[in-house]
Amino acid sequence: MHFDLIVIGMGLSGLMAAKTASESGSKVLILGKGMGALCLFSNTIDLLETLPKGMKLDEGLSQWIKDHPQHPYSKVGAKIVEEALTSFTSLFPLPYSFVSAGDGNSLLPTGAGTLRPTYLIPTTMVAGASVREQGGLIVGFKGFKDFYPDYAATLLGCRSLTLPPFRTFHEEITAAGLARSMEKESFREEIGREIRREMGNETRVGFPAVLGVRDPWGVKKGLEETIGAEVFEIPILPPSIPGMRIFNRFKEWLVQRGVTVLLGHSVSKAILRGRRCEGIRVSNPPLSSFYSADRYILSTGRFVGGGLVANEEKIYEPIFDLPVSQPRSREEWFRKSFFSNLSHPVHQAGILTDSSLRPVDDKGERVLENVWIAGSILAGHDSTNEKSREGVEIATGYMAAKCAMKK
Amino acid sequence: MTKVPMTEAKVWPTSNADACIRCATCMAICPVSRVTPLFPGPKQAGPGAERFRRPGDPSVDSWIDLCIGCHLCDMVCASGVNISELNLLAKAKYLDEKGRPLRDWLLTHTYLYGWLGSLFSPVVNWLLKNSAIKWMVEVILKIDRRRQLPGYQSPTFRQWFRSHHSKGDRRIAYFYGCYVNTNEVEVGKATVEVLEANGFEVTLPAQECCGIPMLGNGDFKGARKMGLQNVPNLLKTIRSGSEIIFSSTSCGHMIRHEYNRLLGIPGSEEVAEHIFDLFEFLRNLKESGSLNTHFKELPLKAAYFAPCHLRSLNIGLPALEILRLIPGLQLENIDADCCGLGGTFGFKKEKYEISQEIGKDLKQAIDRSKPEIVLTDCEGCRLQIRHLTGLKVLHPVQVLRDALLQRTDEEMG
Repeated sequence: MHFDLIVIGMGLSGLMAAKTASESGSKVLILGKGMGALCLFSNTIDLLETLPKGMKLDEGLSQWIKDHPQHPYSKVGAKIVEEALTSFTSLFPLPYSFVSAGDGNSLLPTGAGTLRPTYLIPTTMVAGASVREQGGLIVGFKGFKDFYPDYAATLLGCRSLTLPPFRTFHEEITAAGLARSMEKESFREEIGREIRREMGNETRVGFPAVLGVRDPWGVKKGLEETIGAEVFEIPILPPSIPGMRIFNRFKEWLVQRGVTVLLGHSVSKAILRGRRCEGIRVSNPPLSSFYSADRYILSTGRFVGGGLVANEEKIYEPIFDLPVSQPRSREEWFRKSFFSNLSHPVHQAGILTDSSLRPVDDKGERVLENVWIAGSILAGHDSTNEKSREGVEIATGYMAAKCAMKK
Repeated sequence: MTKVPMTEAKVWPTSNADACIRCATCMAICPVSRVTPLFPGPKQAGPGAERFRRPGDPSVDSWIDLCIGCHLCDMVCASGVNISELNLLAKAKYLDEKGRPLRDWLLTHTYLYGWLGSLFSPVVNWLLKNSAIKWMVEVILKIDRRRQLPGYQSPTFRQWFRSHHSKGDRRIAYFYGCYVNTNEVEVGKATVEVLEANGFEVTLPAQECCGIPMLGNGDFKGARKMGLQNVPNLLKTIRSGSEIIFSSTSCGHMIRHEYNRLLGIPGSEEVAEHIFDLFEFLRNLKESGSLNTHFKELPLKAAYFAPCHLRSLNIGLPALEILRLIPGLQLENIDADCCGLGGTFGFKKEKYEISQEIGKDLKQAIDRSKPEIVLTDCEGCRLQIRHLTGLKVLHPVQVLRDALLQRTDEEMG
């Protein structure tokens, strides 16, 4: 089958690219080997850690761009970053939406009891931003191994409560199982009563981020009614239920728009002629299917999803064999101090691009004419260190599609 | 889409459990571990347990039989671990050692006695609905009496086809499967009529049960036997110059992928190249501009549900693409994970509750959409959705057939 655009990779950047291209009326195929990292991170939308509190987004970002000319944000530009974020949030109308507290970052509690700066927050998490100042009761579940309320509460200066096992469970529960139970009124009432009994003078209750998949706002409201206090979600270990909500929403929207969504199999080969990609093969043994398009966006992520692969000698990009900017040898991957606050060189490795996000070699020569690059595979940023993961993915996914579909 | 056999090195190793990075994405999607703590979930049951399994050791995986075989874990895994395949191999080993109840044999060998069901359908259907019989079946065979066993039809699809004279410019072969033959003849008729309306003469190659009920129950030997019977017949059809289509995504997935991947049936690669999902085939016609799109207005509100095996075919949602061409048809895609029937899974007494619990999520999604009818390509999903919602549930081809303008309609304007 032939498309206007093929997006390779189904993480946040790929989904954003597919959405953006589809809005311009293009015939789009998005394919992914798996769900990308949406279930691993993406509880909230990080933009940049250094965005000073109170500073307006465009000011903070403009400063960053000035200081980091090779950063993906510099290729996108502050204005387009803002446009991309607006496009992303438009998928999530209230009540379950993504909001920023004021203009800058908020400090949100995590399942590890730390506070981390982040930019856009799901409305179910907003009340957590002031937990340090105003206190709260942190609630967890016995048998749920991904969240320990005592540990988090101690660090956050809160009181904790571990709920006993309920009829619904035996000795072990998973995030997905909990999220599903939370959608049931009977379950909410059962735990709500228990929490109410244990409430001291707290005015808010923090739960691990498992308040349902489909209607988290409704679950939050339901709990608040039973408990009689404000409820908020705390991001925890993977699998991330909030990340799943993002994935589901994109998928629903894309299918509704007529985008072809192929999940579950990887691109085994790109067919190149000169500096153009003519098609890709997708393997689903014993077959491999051929798809072609006028343009392609590569958004396959880094090492976790296989967008970048490292062997004994070097890091390479397996689909197009694009040049990968990287430290000269493995010895230089990490700094002497592993826990250094500074970024390790290996995390800056990735695909170099020109200002329109097309791949270039180390001399700045364009390598492919009809391929654009988006997301965490881009060189010149370290999303974990900068706390820029979702921001970079959303902005470059949006920008790559805009550039690819131009003219 | 053009299909070509894979010439690249084998990318689907027997076990790639070590590729698992324990990211837990599969734990978010598994429909079974979401509803019951009895199943530890794909991460634990698949690659997790696989690291402790050694060929000579007896199986201790008493929960492995709870994997419903939906493949959703495989689809979301960014590391490409063949989780459901690991589960299936472990299930086979467990059941081989523990032994299988007569019930499992009966549920997986309907092809042997389905013709009897059709022959005596009035009596058989009455018996299947009789509550005393259902109670006995539950006590003796452990088939849950709350589940309605599908009724039989007479004449069978094959018998009907014998007196039907298919005409067309090009030939196409149809793998209809057991269920269409004895239980849902209408689906077969609609498929034939749609293909004929597109200028094809339909033929029926010699065929047996595809074997998926056996494979799903970990009976590799039984499944392989069916594959070894079907492949030579299908190859004969292909070599005579005809492509093959299937209307059941489960049969189709079995033939196109599992015959080769899991069962290693000789010649299955060539069959895979030439066998197509019905709507995938129609989409190819549409792409080449030769699809008959003379549709009449069909004012109907329908919900479409994509079966798990359609998703693992990795061809997108071709039925949705084709049905969207029908004027007046309001079509909503139901975004839910698995219907919960899992072929024979949901009939078993010890699994009925789990099956229903999984199905509830789908039922709620359908309720929200408030459709007049539900459409889905898999017979198992159709059975389950009827059971869950009481709504009319059809194969999408039945709606497509109804929308096609008959020649006389056209003449009448």
